[in-house]
Amino acid sequence: MTDTAIEAAALGKRFGWRQKGWALRDCTLRLPVGRVCAVVGPNGAGKSTLLAHAAGLLAPTEGGITVLGTTPSAARERMAYVAQDKPLYPQLTVAETLRMGAELNPRRWDAAVAERIVDEGGLDFGSKIRSLSGGQRTRVALALALGKRPELLLLDEPMADLDPLARHQLMGTLLADAAEHGTTVVMSSHVVAELEGSCDHLFLLGGGRVRLAGPLDALIAAHTLVTGPTGDLAPHIVVESRTTGRQITALIRPEGRIAPGWQTAEPTLEELVLAHLRAPGAPALTLTDEGDADNSQGGNGGNDDGETNGTRTRGASV
Amino acid sequence: MSAVTVVSAGTSQRRPAHPARALARAVLRPHQSALWFWGLLVALIGGGLLWAAGPGFDAVWDAYLKSGCRETDYCDMGSAYQRYDMVVTLGPAVLSVAPALIGAWAGASLIGRELESGTAKLAWTQSVTPARWLAAKLAVPAALIVSGTVLLTLLNRLVWWREERLRHAVGTRDWFAVTTFTGNGILATAYALLALAVGVVAGLLLRRSLPALAAGFAGTAALMVVLQGNRHHLWPVTEVRAAASEPLWTGMLVDRGLITASGDRISDSLCEDFDCGRSDVVGYWAQSHPASHFWPLQLVETGIVVAVTALLVLASFHLLRRRTGGAA
Repeated sequence: MTDTAIEAAALGKRFGWRQKGWALRDCTLRLPVGRVCAVVGPNGAGKSTLLAHAAGLLAPTEGGITVLGTTPSAARERMAYVAQDKPLYPQLTVAETLRMGAELNPRRWDAAVAERIVDEGGLDFGSKIRSLSGGQRTRVALALALGKRPELLLLDEPMADLDPLARHQLMGTLLADAAEHGTTVVMSSHVVAELEGSCDHLFLLGGGRVRLAGPLDALIAAHTLVTGPTGDLAPHIVVESRTTGRQITALIRPEGRIAPGWQTAEPTLEELVLAHLRAPGAPALTLTDEGDADNSQGGNGGNDDGETNGTRTRGASV
Repeated sequence: MSAVTVVSAGTSQRRPAHPARALARAVLRPHQSALWFWGLLVALIGGGLLWAAGPGFDAVWDAYLKSGCRETDYCDMGSAYQRYDMVVTLGPAVLSVAPALIGAWAGASLIGRELESGTAKLAWTQSVTPARWLAAKLAVPAALIVSGTVLLTLLNRLVWWREERLRHAVGTRDWFAVTTFTGNGILATAYALLALAVGVVAGLLLRRSLPALAAGFAGTAALMVVLQGNRHHLWPVTEVRAAASEPLWTGMLVDRGLITASGDRISDSLCEDFDCGRSDVVGYWAQSHPASHFWPLQLVETGIVVAVTALLVLASFHLLRRRTGGAA
């Protein structure tokens, strides 16, 4: 039994033959099992490509990816994947769709879980998929995924079609189910707010590369939001800074003690993500778990040394 | 209905069905309308051929006897023959047209639409490898196609066997006519399977239903036209010669011509008149396939079709593996 859900090593995917066609490049990251991981990034960042590789739907152009300690192809039975456009057969009914899930996953199917998720949405089992709204189709797609009892659940923009109420309710069901069974969940989104409070691990992608990767609390602890009069922030690494009049607000990765003139605050997930998205030139940062012997720092920035331990930097910010 | 289906989903979980059968059902379910169409087509044409082999032919034979025709090229046997002729023409014709339709369906509906709408991803992320998915997509339709074409071919042959007296008397149909030749032997089945493979490759290559529909149809039609157009090359011809006049050949005429005093053999197929405007003709020749060449010709053509089909099937698995990268 492995404790790694997903491990990508220099994974790269190019569509077509153009040199600029890289959807994902030099992607090295590791996700331990049992995490709820958010894959965040702007459109075209490579989120869907990363998830499709993990699901065994795409062959890498370079590098490799392992899932649950084996190839994505061999782990097929133990993971579930919901694609961004929630593909389902429009001509089938809800009941027929679930029956297909039972037939295609004979060893794992849990009809009760799938039926409960459909029931909670008040869906009629006899209605055709083509007559359902986008949100209702999302619900059926999730029922199909959870009915498989996956060890790893890959969700590509899962909540995009849902109204806030359904989103909240379905996310609750999903996370409760995942917590109960120790399922590793990976979900991509470009709406950061939808992930706040529900995930404990983060992969931030941009331009097909990894920008941030690691446990969420460690990543947040590694950054500090500072406000103060314009001045030099060296030796800290400045991710992004904005000047308003004589005030400067910056997101930094502290390197040692912060000078007393600065007001410091812990950034929220959204502030952390947005600052990195606004500053594409900021160096990448990959953190691993505390006490995790595995040294899998893959960031291509030059400042990875010594930041493996998330608590060290927290001490510097006080 | 909904309550019943939910209950059966529950039962299948408790008592798991055979995985291959379950996969076959899952493959078929989205294609129920195509299944109905094929079933109805086979039933209608099959019923028509059964009628033709029984009461239809009896009525024609009565009309022939009453007409008092002798061995002539044309004999008016009235409406009984018109009805009969329509059905017995339709039987082989359907088997000759079906491949192009199968190719279009396989390209568009079986594969192309699944890749276009993403439902293929849905299947590949269940506990089914893409290779097994493709194998089921090939095997299940192939089994249904073969059952239909074999049944219709056997009925075509039944009619052919019953009407032998009539063909002898009035020469209604030739064994080598393009649709008759295809519909009376194993070729109908071979072409239908070729069409399935062409459609599947077209769908995998183009990944969209409309282009794959066109490519599946056109690809199958083109292969059939080329192969059927060169049918007569597939077995050595029988040649007959005569000194005085055009020799009597039997069956499918391939080429004929004349022999000059210097020993040259000239094909007269492009000539206006019989002697090709030459005065030094010393004899005539004709090359043809007699009726005894029916099975050799069928077998060679079927062999080629099966070989092309096998190559396309291999190509389809290769295409899929290259895309999804799954070793298993």
